[in-house]
Amino acid sequence: MALLEVSGLTRDFGGLRAVSGLSFQVGAGEILGLIGPNGAGKTTVFNLITGFLRPTSGDIRLDGLRIAGLKPHAVVRCGIARTFQIVKPFPNLSVCENVALAALVRLGVRAEAEADAERALKQVGLGDKLDIPASDLTLSDQKRMEIARALATHPKLLLLDEPLAGLNPRETEDACQLVQAIRAGGVTVVLVEHVMKAIMRISHRVVVICQGEKIADGPPSEVVADPAVITAYFGKRAR
Amino acid sequence: MKRVLPVIAALLLLAIPLGVSNQFLLHLGITVLMWTILGLAWNLLGGYAGQVSFGHATFFGIGAYTTMILYLSFRLAPWYGMALGGVLGALFSLPIGLICFRLRGPYFSLATLAVAEIIRLVALNWESLTNGPVGLLITSLPQVTVFGAAINWERKEPFFVIVAVLALCAMLAAYLFTRSRLGSYLTAIREDEDAAEAIGIDTTRSKVTVLALSAFLTGLAGGFYGLYFRYVDPDAVFLISLSVEMVFIAVVGGLRTIAGPVVGAIFLTTIAELFRERFMVGHLIFYGLFMMLVIRFLPEGIWGRALRILTGRR
Repeated sequence: MALLEVSGLTRDFGGLRAVSGLSFQVGAGEILGLIGPNGAGKTTVFNLITGFLRPTSGDIRLDGLRIAGLKPHAVVRCGIARTFQIVKPFPNLSVCENVALAALVRLGVRAEAEADAERALKQVGLGDKLDIPASDLTLSDQKRMEIARALATHPKLLLLDEPLAGLNPRETEDACQLVQAIRAGGVTVVLVEHVMKAIMRISHRVVVICQGEKIADGPPSEVVADPAVITAYFGKRAR
Repeated sequence: MKRVLPVIAALLLLAIPLGVSNQFLLHLGITVLMWTILGLAWNLLGGYAGQVSFGHATFFGIGAYTTMILYLSFRLAPWYGMALGGVLGALFSLPIGLICFRLRGPYFSLATLAVAEIIRLVALNWESLTNGPVGLLITSLPQVTVFGAAINWERKEPFFVIVAVLALCAMLAAYLFTRSRLGSYLTAIREDEDAAEAIGIDTTRSKVTVLALSAFLTGLAGGFYGLYFRYVDPDAVFLISLSVEMVFIAVVGGLRTIAGPVVGAIFLTTIAELFRERFMVGHLIFYGLFMMLVIRFLPEGIWGRALRILTGRR
């Protein structure tokens, strides 16, 4: 059975159908890339899965358990953590406090939470920046901190919303390695991304959506050759 | 030493009526302590949780009216009424919170303001319950004997002790709150509400809980107001200016500090009382001027700045 199962997912904003009858699955241990042109509905899909938006219709299941319509905090407790397209740190708290809060919700004991936070921060390479205020970090480090914060909730599934946007080539390379390390640690990853080169390399499978509908689903090499995908990105004449 | 100091301060506070018999000074102390409770209560919600309420007069008024009505109609001693006033304030805060917390930031603040006005108008017009604009008056308080001596309710000392105990309890509650998990969760909510949800914090429940705690303390202070002044009317206990004053005390003293509201209450109450003596309504000019100076030069509040200097940060 798939870890995450999305079926017939639809979301309307007034008269606009942002996501339309979308179905896809994510297997345990996979890295799945979710791509599509601007405005395709990728972030809306993330918001639907994580409970920040309620679906108009359709079903979302994690390990067979129905999570569609749950509040975000309940979804997290089921085992789905996320990062945000525009980073949302707790700006006036230290890096360690940021992550320790996430661990505290799960563990309930402050000392344990701090130890857990330090572990997560070391994993993402911020072990030497524990006491710095989150707002003083570079964008790249803020994104790493957000990943550590998500990992501190001990998710089965991690949703990364454009983790590479705004990073320089060096940082992009490091971030790709981090994503692969996280998967190797047993966490399934879904990422929305525009940096094609990177996503094609690290994803096991890619789902392409356009105007809220799925137009392709398969290994990266097949998807890039799919005429529907080429049309969506470059127009008809590019074929 | 750090643990002993607050205890000594508390004992000194409770001993003040033994040494001070000047009734005006005691009245000033009572007023300061009552406003301290209100500032503390507001600070839990507005400071720590970052949810700025302009409607806390609602809970103050409910506390005051509960105390008065229970005594006048059922002869329930005002000290019990006071506690029930707090409880009723907290109960009232639940639906208010569930409605207003659907909004964020300034929209939340405006919603609390609107709710407070609705409650004031209800109190003004529900004459069978509140006696309308005429208000409610308690002519005499029940007789109580402590150690064989009857308490003289015509003097300020007993009120001072009562409000001092309440203020100390409120400070203890605020202290415990800041160290609790709820306190941490609310810090997260203040910093970024979406991120707080994303790490598994039930933000609505956390906010409703702190509002109830805040409303309880505010209702308690309202009950004390009824007991002390023995007269309430809608314009005395439900007015917007009361809500705003609670904000001022927390801001002037220092947001997110325990001692801040104490300092804020001392400064603002003293300024108001002293200038009222000399300038009548003109005292508001000095009050406003003081507010402007503090906001311009001490945006983190008087105690907030003092704390920063004491702990040697920047």
